[in-house]
Amino acid sequence: MSPAPTLQPVFAVPLGAARLEACERLNRELEALFLAREDDEHRNPMPSHIPQRETFESRFNLFRWPEPCVQELRKFVLDTVVATVLRATTLLPADLARLTLHNHTWFHITRHAGSFISHNHPMASWSAVYCVRAGEPVPEEPGSGLLRLFDPRSGAGAYRDPANSRLHPAFASAPLDFRLADGQILVFPSYLFHEVAPFYGRDTRITVATNCWFA
Amino acid sequence: MSALAPHVVPIFATPFGVVTLPQAQTLNSALAELFTARAVREESTAGGAPGRRVFVSRDDLLEWAEDPVRQTMREIVAGVTAVAASISELSSEELGRLHIQARAWFTVVRPNGCVPATSYPNTSWLAVYCVTAPEPSEERVDSGVLRMHESRMETSFQDPVDQSNRAPYRRGHYTWRPVPGQMAVFPAALVHEIAMVRAAGTLTLLTAGARFAGASGAWMPPW
Repeated sequence: MSPAPTLQPVFAVPLGAARLEACERLNRELEALFLAREDDEHRNPMPSHIPQRETFESRFNLFRWPEPCVQELRKFVLDTVVATVLRATTLLPADLARLTLHNHTWFHITRHAGSFISHNHPMASWSAVYCVRAGEPVPEEPGSGLLRLFDPRSGAGAYRDPANSRLHPAFASAPLDFRLADGQILVFPSYLFHEVAPFYGRDTRITVATNCWFA
Repeated sequence: MSALAPHVVPIFATPFGVVTLPQAQTLNSALAELFTARAVREESTAGGAPGRRVFVSRDDLLEWAEDPVRQTMREIVAGVTAVAASISELSSEELGRLHIQARAWFTVVRPNGCVPATSYPNTSWLAVYCVTAPEPSEERVDSGVLRMHESRMETSFQDPVDQSNRAPYRRGHYTWRPVPGQMAVFPAALVHEIAMVRAAGTLTLLTAGARFAGASGAWMPPW
């Protein structure tokens, strides 16, 4: 009998996830603020992709807004990013404390048939998406509003036979879909391509996204 | 500015071919009629309401007996073969000794519908042939485009010069607007999608996956 081989994931992608407990009040305040500022003054003046009228994208300075609800969110989001970095790297808290965490942070308000094209975020190391309002689920459109992370192992699925078709989730070569819940945050490397699938709810889907870099 | 004149060539290049089918004008109206009828029938049979945003047929078009479908498939196969031959080092005689395996299906994309990103294993080439398309929209320039995803991961570092690269070195996705009668041919492993149709009208596409097999019956993985 041959010895059992060891098996481990290599070339793994770190994904941090957390949920803000009792997020209702904060999300209510954020939603009201964002809806009130869904205007040209606060719109991103230099979108990197073709803008859609169904999706509003704010300027990237959200975390500089002084409103208490924004600053409360800022602390939760950046703390979660830092915690993810500490888990995913060999850095110690003291190492990280010597660095300055920079961020670009914005919000999206997505309405019926809005989506966001697959993209990644050059010149940043970590990205995060926080869900203010998930929007209504649409049973006949199971993909509505999903956050989809693309497998960076381009071409890994080009050859398939029965022995590599049913890999365990850690090894599978496929996009990962997430239906964000209110108060949920995902943190992932900025190189990872991701998109928001078309949202078909009758209400709004509201998220906050951040790109972080350390220097 | 340097006066040097470097020799620069694309490496790791991805082939992307566009073929205009010779009989498109006479075939497309018949194809559209056949596909619409099939979509309505199958949507009704499945218990759903006809006219949903997207309908994707079974991949059995090569088994259809209708002449317009058979003739279109012949032209699609010829087009894929021509694209493959144009970049292959095989001679036409060597290529002629291979036989092409294909499967094909059609997709009907209505307003606010799209086809999520995907790729196809065990397949060399993908052909996306346009049967009908809504009028292009100046306001929604990416309405209904075939979008091939950027596959070079090193793009997460950019400086101001990188961002201004010309084709074929430009970074980012590549889009092709389906035009009735034209067919895009590209490697099936490339992740691609049909962007949301934002205009009135219907985008009808015939998609074929294809690969070449040796006449000696060399093993190929099943589809």
